[in-house]
This record gives sequence, C-alpha cells and structure tokens, in this order.
Amino acid sequence: MTNDVRSTADFSSESQRALHDLILSLADSKRIIGILYADWVLGAPELEANIATSSISQDEWGHSRLLYALLKDFGEDPEKLEHEREPSEYRNIEALDQRLATWPQFVVANAIIDSALTVQLEALAGTRYAPLRQRVQKQLEEERFHEAHGAAWLRRLGNSSNAARSATQEALDARWSEVLHWFGPDDFGAAEKSDGLSDGTGGELRARFVERMTPVIQGAGLEVPSAELDFSGWDPASRRSNRTGPDPEAVARARGDRNRAFFVETAEPEK
Amino acid sequence: MADQIYVVLVRKNREDPLRHIGSVHASDPELAKVYAWKTYDEERWFEMAVAPRDAFYPVNREEAPFDIVRRSAGSPEVA
Repeated sequence: MTNDVRSTADFSSESQRALHDLILSLADSKRIIGILYADWVLGAPELEANIATSSISQDEWGHSRLLYALLKDFGEDPEKLEHEREPSEYRNIEALDQRLATWPQFVVANAIIDSALTVQLEALAGTRYAPLRQRVQKQLEEERFHEAHGAAWLRRLGNSSNAARSATQEALDARWSEVLHWFGPDDFGAAEKSDGLSDGTGGELRARFVERMTPVIQGAGLEVPSAELDFSGWDPASRRSNRTGPDPEAVARARGDRNRAFFVETAEPEK
Repeated sequence: MADQIYVVLVRKNREDPLRHIGSVHASDPELAKVYAWKTYDEERWFEMAVAPRDAFYPVNREEAPFDIVRRSAGSPEVA
C-alpha cells in the first residue's frame, strides 16, 4: 500500500498517542469480553453453544494478545499491560464493566458489544500503519462467526417466551447507551481519519454500528433503545466516563493472578 | 423454534470429495453454521457446509439418512 508506515517513529506524536489509545482500548475490551464469555463455557443452554462460547472466548483472548504485543512499538511493555494493571487502569468499553450474570446478558454482549468492537476494527482494516493492518484481517474473519452467533441467539431469545424477550430487551436497554458513547463525539478521530490511520470518525462509526444493528435487533422482535448522547466527562484517551474500571474479579482472572501465585510457589530454587 | 439436526459436510482441499464429518443440533441454519464451524475446527477446511438432515432421502436403508442416533449434541454421531 502506498504511504505505508511500518514504524511508529514515522508518526507525529499526536497520531502516535491516538493510535496507542485506540489499540489499548480495543485490546482491553477484547481481553475483558473474553474473560466474561469464559464464565459461560459450561453454562450455555446447549452443548453446541458451550463449544462455540469456549472457542469465541479463546478467539478474543488471542485478539487481545495480538493487540497488546503491537503496543511494544509504542514504548509499552506488553507483559505489564497484560499482568500488572489495576481495574481503574483498564480502558475497556464501559458496557463490559459488569459481569454477564444471565444468558440474555451474554447474548447482548455477543450480539451488540462485540459487534461495536468489530465496527471499530473494520475502520482499521485499511490503516496505513502496516503492522496493525496485518493483524486486523484474521480478527475480522473470526468475528464473522461471533456476530452470527450473537445475532442468531438474539433472534432466538427475541422470538421465545415473553420472559426471555423482556430479559433480552432489558439487557439491551442497559448497555446500548454505553456502546454508543464508546465511539466518542462525532468528530472524534477526525485527524486520524485524514491521516489515513482509520477510515471513520466517532460519528461515522456510530452510524455504521446503528445501521448494522438495527435490522438485527428489529429482526429479533426487539426495539432499538433510544439514547441521549452526552460527552461531558468523557475521556478521549480511555473512551470512558467513569474511572472505576471493570469487575475486579474479572481483572484478576485476566491478569492470571492465580496462575502467578501457583508459579511462585513452584518456582522456589531447588536445594 | 425446536432444534433440528444439521449434517456437517467438509472437504480439506479443493480436489477432495465432500465428507460427512458429523452433525449439530441447532434452532436455525445460521446457528448451525456457527456451531459446525466452532465444533469441527480440527482442520483449516477448504469448504464446510451444513444441511438439515431432513433434506436427505434414504435410498437403500430404512433408517434415517446417516443413521444418526440422537445422543448428546455435538458429538460425532455416524453409526
């Protein structure tokens, strides 16, 4: 591709910062969604769904690893990013702060929140930052199946009992506004767009997301929630309004705290 | 939407014949596609397709096509 950039040194410091923040936000969102999905590996309503959930969860884990590794080019230590941060330092989409306590909540995360991440990822498919572009394609191929799984289950729950439909609508209503805010103000990312790093501003990506989700939601017999956008207090670096971060237990699992405790116990020098 | 059985057909390379590798239970074809792809992921398939088992008519055997016994969903079920 013409104008390809292979090293972050060739970017302005503003572009470097913006791209770093974007990659970290995606990496953290994918890490957390992978952990939250994993809660359902044994609890999904049918065996095939357990298998799919397990595989989707591993996909997300893999995507986040690819993205964290990329941040080395930005002067970050991926090891520290993955294993040494507090919940308040995570930059995941706020819609993933809560655990997925019910299957309808899982389905909404799968159908809606995961798809929002994919819309953002697609905007990077033609980025002239070559190392990122090369990592996006594989992720998008896998995301096709995540999206199909989410949409099919949304349809199934929406066309099921009244209780299932209202639980799903409730989960959707609870998360919708947070997802829309994640894309940022309408002109967010305009500089990166004109610099060829991404192909959409916050407003454009939000519109793409709503356009894609509307038939999925309505096709499931559900209603697209209404949302008032308010970006006062919204931080462009973390793309969040609160600083509390995700569920601490989810972060402990994402960091592998227990694995490390185990490793420390067995890593005593032998005498 | 009741679950039905979908048979899963694959070929590893373009020149290979289609092979019946197993089946999944799913409520619709879209879900069947995802379940098949995620369940039978041991190879990088050149092609995978699913079809409702009911779409097949037995020719020389009385049993239903592919002789599938309804056991635990997801396991290979070819007798």
